[in-house]
Order: sequence, then C-alpha cells, then structure tokens
Amino acid sequence: MDLTLNADQKDLRAALRDRLADLWTPDRLRAASETSSFDRDAWKALAETGVFAITLPEADGGMGLGTADAVILFEELGRAQVPGPVTGTFLAAGLVPGAAEGDAVVTLLDTRDAMSVIEHPGAATHLVVIDDDGLFLLPVPRAEPAALPLDPLTPVARVSVRAEDGERIGSAEDAARWRLLGAVLTASLQVGAAQGALDLAVRYAKERMQFDRVIGSFQAVKHLLAESLVRTDLARAAVLVAALVADDPASGDLREAASTAKLLADEAAAHGGRTGIQVHGGMGFTWEVLAHLYLKRAWVQETVFGTAGDHAEHLAAAF
Amino acid sequence: MDLRLTPSETGFRDRLRSWLADVLPALPDKPDRDDWPARRVYDTAWQRMLFDAGYAGVDWPADHGGLGASPTEQLIFLEETARSRAPYVGANFVGLLHAGPTLIVEGTEEQRAAHLPRILRGEEVWCQGFSEPDAGSDLAALRTTAVRDGDHYVVNGRKVWTSHAEVADYCELLVRTDPAAPKHKGITWLILPMDTPGVQVRPLRTVVGSSEFSELILDDVRVPVANRVGAENDGWRVAMVTFSFERGTAFISDVIESRNLLEETVAIAKKTPAPGGGTLWDDAALRRDVGRLAAEVSGLWSLIRKNVSEAQAGMIPVQGASVFKLKFTESRQRIGDLASHVLGRAALAMSGLPGAHIVEDRVNTLSFTIAAGTSQIQKNILAERVLGLPKEPRWT
Repeated sequence: MDLTLNADQKDLRAALRDRLADLWTPDRLRAASETSSFDRDAWKALAETGVFAITLPEADGGMGLGTADAVILFEELGRAQVPGPVTGTFLAAGLVPGAAEGDAVVTLLDTRDAMSVIEHPGAATHLVVIDDDGLFLLPVPRAEPAALPLDPLTPVARVSVRAEDGERIGSAEDAARWRLLGAVLTASLQVGAAQGALDLAVRYAKERMQFDRVIGSFQAVKHLLAESLVRTDLARAAVLVAALVADDPASGDLREAASTAKLLADEAAAHGGRTGIQVHGGMGFTWEVLAHLYLKRAWVQETVFGTAGDHAEHLAAAF
Repeated sequence: MDLRLTPSETGFRDRLRSWLADVLPALPDKPDRDDWPARRVYDTAWQRMLFDAGYAGVDWPADHGGLGASPTEQLIFLEETARSRAPYVGANFVGLLHAGPTLIVEGTEEQRAAHLPRILRGEEVWCQGFSEPDAGSDLAALRTTAVRDGDHYVVNGRKVWTSHAEVADYCELLVRTDPAAPKHKGITWLILPMDTPGVQVRPLRTVVGSSEFSELILDDVRVPVANRVGAENDGWRVAMVTFSFERGTAFISDVIESRNLLEETVAIAKKTPAPGGGTLWDDAALRRDVGRLAAEVSGLWSLIRKNVSEAQAGMIPVQGASVFKLKFTESRQRIGDLASHVLGRAALAMSGLPGAHIVEDRVNTLSFTIAAGTSQIQKNILAERVLGLPKEPRWT
C-alpha cells in the first residue's frame, strides 16, 4: 500500500504545472473570460504535454501510465482553470483520431441527463454520446451557444441529437467504464478547482489589511480557509484511491470509490469556490478578481458524470 | 502507488485474524461502565493476552519490547481488532500511547526498566495530568507548582479530565517549576505514583452520566527528582513529544465503528414503518443523507491510508492528522444525529429502549470535537502551520 507520489509522478506534475503557468496566466484567463473564442493554439500546446495520451500504450504514442497518474495531472488542469473539454478529449484519445494530439476537441453528452446541453459547442470538433447501449460518435450539432454562459470559460448550447444517428465506437461496457472514469477525472478537476480557489484566497488573506492587521490573522478567516483545506484534502485522498481502484480492480469497488470521489470533490470545489469569493470580500464579487471562475467551474462540473445527489443514492443502495 | 498489501503484510494480517478468531469467543462479558476496578481488570487482562501472543506495543520499537511494526502493519492491527470487535485499548491508553513512547524517547534507563515491561504486560495503568481548570486549549498556562526540596519536588495544584485516575498506578504530570520564566519555559514532566500521600481523586460526571474521568487534587505531594522525565523546565518540549504519539492513529478503529453505525441505522430504517406506508428507507432524503455520510467515512478511510503511506515513507503527517481529526469528529457526530432521527422517540433513553447504545454514543461523541485539541484549535493549526497565515496577536 502506497499513496505517496513517486519521483516520476512529482516530475510529471511539476512539468505540467510549469507549462500551465505559462499557458494560462491570470491575464490570459481574464482575457479568455471576455471572449467566446477558443484558443486552439493553447489547446494544441496542452496536448503536446502528452496529458491526453498518458494512459495510452507507448506504441500508440502514449506513456503507458495509469489513471492514478492521470488524476495527478487533471488536478493541475483544474487548478489552472484550463478551458476546454479536457475529460471528453482524454477519454476519446485512442478512439477518436486526433484527440490525443490536440487536433480533435471532443465534447460529451450523456443520454441520462434530462436536459441535453453540451459544453464548448463552437470549439468541439467531435461529440461522443454516452448511452446505456454504448458510445456513439457524432458531428457536433449546429447550435447557438448561450449568450451568457454561467462559466465564461465554458460556453454551452442546448442540442437535440439521437445516439443511434452516430457511429458506434464503444460497447455498453465501455460506456459504463467511461461514466466511472469520467466521474473520477472530473472529481480530480474539482479538487484542482478547490485547491486553486484556496491558493488565491490564502494569498489575498496574507496581503489584505483591515483594522491594521492582515485579514488572515483573524480566526474567522483562518477557519474558513482551514475548512476548505480539510474538504480538499479529504476529496484528494478519495480521488487517488478511486483512480488506483480503476487501475487495479481487485483492490476495491470502483463504483463505490468513484461515487465517493465525485461527491466529496463536488462539495470541496463548491464550498471552496464560495470561500474563495467570501474571503476576497467586495472584490470577490467583481469580474476583476478571478475567484468567481473557480466557483463557476465547480458549478459546471458538479452537473456532469453524476451529481452529488446521484452518487449519494448509489452509495446508499450499497447498504 | 498501489493499494495492495505485501505478502509479509498479508501474512501478518492472516496470523492476527486467526489468533483473534481463536481468543475472542472465550472473552468474558464487558464490565459495567461505572465499575472501574472491573474495567481495569478487563482491559489489563486483554493487554496481557496481547503480550503473551506477541502483539503488545505494536508501534513500540522492538528493542524496548514492542513489536516494531511498520505503519502499515499498525494500521492492519487496528483495522483487524476493530473489525473483529476486540476490546479497545481502554485503561491501557495513556501507558501504551502516551507515557510509554515518551519514556522510550526521553526517559532514563532506570525509568524505562521500571515501567516499559509492566505497561506492555498490562501490569501498570497510567493516567494523564496535563489539563487544569484554567489551562485547557492554552495548556502552557498550567499553574500546578512543583518546588524543589532536597531530592523531591513538592507539588500543589489541580488537574482535570484525568481518565482512569481512580484505577491508575502512575500519572504523567506537567508542573510549573519556574514561575518567573515565560510560560512555555518553566514546565517540567514528572512521573507521579498515584499512591503518594496528598493525591486525591474526585470523579467528574460527564454528560453521559458516568464518571469517565476525574479531577486530581494535589496537596503537598512529594515526587522524587528521579521521577523527572527530561530536564527541569524542559517539560513543554517533552509534552510535545508525548502529543506526537497521539495524533494520527487514535481514531482508526472509530472509522470502522462509524461504518458499522451507518449500517445499523440503515437496518433500523428498513424495518421502521413510515407514516404514509412503506418504511423510512423509502425516503430519498434519508438515503441521500446516508450516502453522503458513507462517502465521508469512505473518504476518511482513504485519508488514513494516505497518512499511513506517508508515515511509512518516513514523513510526519501533521497536516493529515489535523485534517483527519477535524473531518472525522464532525462526520461522527452527524452520523449519531442521523441515527437518532431514524430512531425517533426511541432515541429518548440511554437504556431500556431499542437503540439505547446509539443514543449513549450520540451523547458521548460530543467530546470528540473537544478532546485532544478542539476543532477550533485544529483549524488554527492548519491555518498557521500549513497555510502559513500569521498567528493571532498574543496577550501574555
């Protein structure tokens, strides 16, 4: 039993973190939040880090690594607030040509969702529909994106598609596997969002002066931030265990582990995002401070691959 | 990274499992919670059984009589004993988890020889004399004095929250030896024999109604200087060594009990008729509450495995220990609330009604967010030591 990162994993994480610090600076995130256009160069540069392909075999251009390595990297994507359908593109790598290389941008739709809304309708080059009967590849339907998406970095559009109109690229078992892996990967994005919001708020709490003291010296503020840290660390451990179970099915129950991870990570991200805004006070309510992006992304991601309520029902059903 | 046990860890677990399966059915019934002499006999007899089977002091180094088990093996030991519902460490807690490990690191050869083998064999029970009426979270404000008189210290003061005091042989005692020094610099760690004249034990009744701990009144108590652990006025540092053994593993068995309590709650809900027909378990809101708490318990178990992995790799999981204690104690209290809501008006008694033990447990766990560092202190620790936020201004 070992849940510590090895040297290779730390290097992998550090390399991606450095690259993302260049690719998605606060200024570039702010600029991206002002426009609906998608930065294909940044997407291509992201793919060049190998992040979409790391679990593919080396013979197929991947690194032959596991889901546990993938979630370490996905946390960094969440922390950096990278825009784009990273989970769909990662899952599609190896199945949809060009996904691993960043030439294809793959968005997802799950037929279990009552409302058919896709993310990044303008940027996506492919749509994969996850259905109880399998995975279906479709062209991205023409649809007018909502003028005011909740998360400015996640354009959305309502669409009307039928899975059976697409090319069947995966079985019902593959679809079930995607749902579980998607929950685990989204959970790691949520852990990253929670950590990013916390980092930003902690930095602000160490600088902002009121009553002749930095606000981070007040226990009321400290406790808010400590509570964020607790939720984030708890979720991170759950995500790591779920990823390890995905890689080694004999070591646990993936369905239970994935539900646990997604539920705890959704809560960490939503609470952490809210705390991020609260600690920034009035400035937190403005578009100028990036705190709102973390919370809005958390609210987007809590709707995919099962809500916390869905996962709570799954976990209760195990009793 | 992986979740698997090594062959030698699996072997350790299997041997332990089969030993537990052999001995547990023959154990006598647990004594009444207010019968302290019987509880001491029960707890120390279990410790003797562990000793005879080679399982005493799993976390103690082998050259001091312990098992020298790795952090992963310690986790296996705590997990297996909890799952099989073996006796809890009970009256042996302070000796095995506090005083013994402190003597191993800080004690003299004579002190180790006098106490360590007896603690391991269940022949010696310890209690803790740290907190005082005016020194709780601010422990360093303690005022019990010790004045040197020849080769003795003369101790005067009061200690509170002293578990097992009525039946303890020794007390790990913090006293103030230099009232003029800054508060952290004038403290000394002493071994107090509980039969010394002037030691008076006054049981305190808890909100559960039983006397789980006591107040110690110390009136001109003479403690030999040879009983000092560490240097005079260096007791705060020694106490920090003592606390370092407390964090991290103390609640492992409680996480398993949390899962058991959730399962029991669901079993009750499935049998309890709902007002509109069906059972309480048909209520989606209840199922979701259970599911959420199940996720928290499962996440806590993942966190334990991560903390143990870090310890196994030679790291000290300070952050992990505080995170764990904060989250576990909160979740544990919410499970008790949920279970009691399912019980409805059966939750109105700690005896005589079905589910009485759940109600007692609900009341008992009120201490969890207070003992061993309140949740508020834990949040300060995380905010200051992990997040790097500045300390509150101190008024001293």
